[in-house]
Formats: sequence, structure tokens, C-alpha cells
Amino acid sequence: MEGTDTYLIRPNHQHKFKAAIVKECIREIVRERLSGMRYDPEEVPELSRSLADCIKDKVKNAGFDRYKLVVQVVIGEQRGQGVKMSSRCLWDADTDNYAEDVFMNDSLVCVVAVFGSYYY
Amino acid sequence: MDEYQTEDETAFVVEESVEAAIGGNAYQHSRVNQWTTSVVEQCLSQLSKLGKPFKYIVTCIIMQKNGAGLQTASACFWDNTTDGSCAVRWENKSMYCIVNVFGLSI
Repeated sequence: MEGTDTYLIRPNHQHKFKAAIVKECIREIVRERLSGMRYDPEEVPELSRSLADCIKDKVKNAGFDRYKLVVQVVIGEQRGQGVKMSSRCLWDADTDNYAEDVFMNDSLVCVVAVFGSYYY
Repeated sequence: MDEYQTEDETAFVVEESVEAAIGGNAYQHSRVNQWTTSVVEQCLSQLSKLGKPFKYIVTCIIMQKNGAGLQTASACFWDNTTDGSCAVRWENKSMYCIVNVFGLSI
């Protein structure tokens, strides 16, 4: 993908990174994989890694051509502590976008953020 | 012209920014919002001052120390030869701060 030159400096409106679609993708996968799960410190590293890979593949297949993707998954235990996550990006606001979703149950909290950046 | 950015360079810039923004403070729920924003904005402005041809994504997580566990993972679809990421962990007696920087070349 990266090698071919299209000389397009802006994606077609149809090809733009659509946050709503990506948010749906994230939601489906997270709800399916994490409903009823408890926070287990042995399993969590593997779980978060596989969740990130799964979401990355799903978003790739959703057909956002020429977009570089960064998927970040954060899974935390629910123990009454305070947590805050925030992000800022230095990019081209016309072409780049992000989608995020938060899932909570009694024993864990999962935040997923997907960033899409157009490769000129 | 050196187009690439090393991880060490990025880590150094980030550590400085975190120290400047929240160093020496104890966890306070009312100020956390302001802290995460200032950490992230400081990092981003220092990174943009480096003047490299990169788009940056900076995320910051601040968590109170209370014995709970936290795990972060990321998966990226990019060009391995030119793009990279860097994670910096910082802590003090009452909180943890994890900053992730992703650099995507133009």
C-alpha cells in the first residue's frame, strides 16, 4: 500500500476515516470479548494484546485505504481508584480522525482508542 | 538532514514535560483533568519544536495508587521503517502517569 503513488493529497469524501463506523467496530468486539470477564492479572496482558490485534484487523478490513492505524487498548481493574486518560494529536484535521469507546463492568474498565492518519 | 527521530530523544522530551507539568504534586481528583491536559499539551508542543516531519499522537493516563492493576496494549498498522512509538512511565508516592507517543511519518 505504502509503495504505490496515487498523488492524492486528500482522501475522497467516501474514503475518509469515519469515526462512527469505527466506533461500532470497537463496540462489537469489546462487548463480545469482555462481557462477564473478571480482571485477572495473569490473563490481562494476553487479553489486551489480542483485543488490540483483533480491532486493528477489523478496522483494516472496513476499507480505509491509505490510512495508517494506531489502536490503543487500556484495561484497568475497578477498585475505587481515580483514573483519567486524555490524548492530543498533531496532525492534519481535514484527513485524520479518531474513534474511542469505553466499556465497564463490575471488575474492570476497558478504554479503546483508534487513531487514523492519512498517508499522502 | 536527519529525518528520523530516535526513541531516546522522544523519551527525554516526554519525561521533561511530565516533570514540569505534575512533578511534586499529590493525586487530587479535582485537578486531574487539568494535569492530563497540561502533560499532553506540553509534550506535544515540545515535540513539535523538534521540527521533524512527523504527525504525533500523544496519550496520557494518570492513575491513583491504590493497589489496582492497569494494562495498556497497542497494535499499529504503519510503515515499520519510518514510524515508531515510545512509552514513558512516571510515578510518585500517590499516582502513576503513563505517556504513549506515536510518531507517524508524512
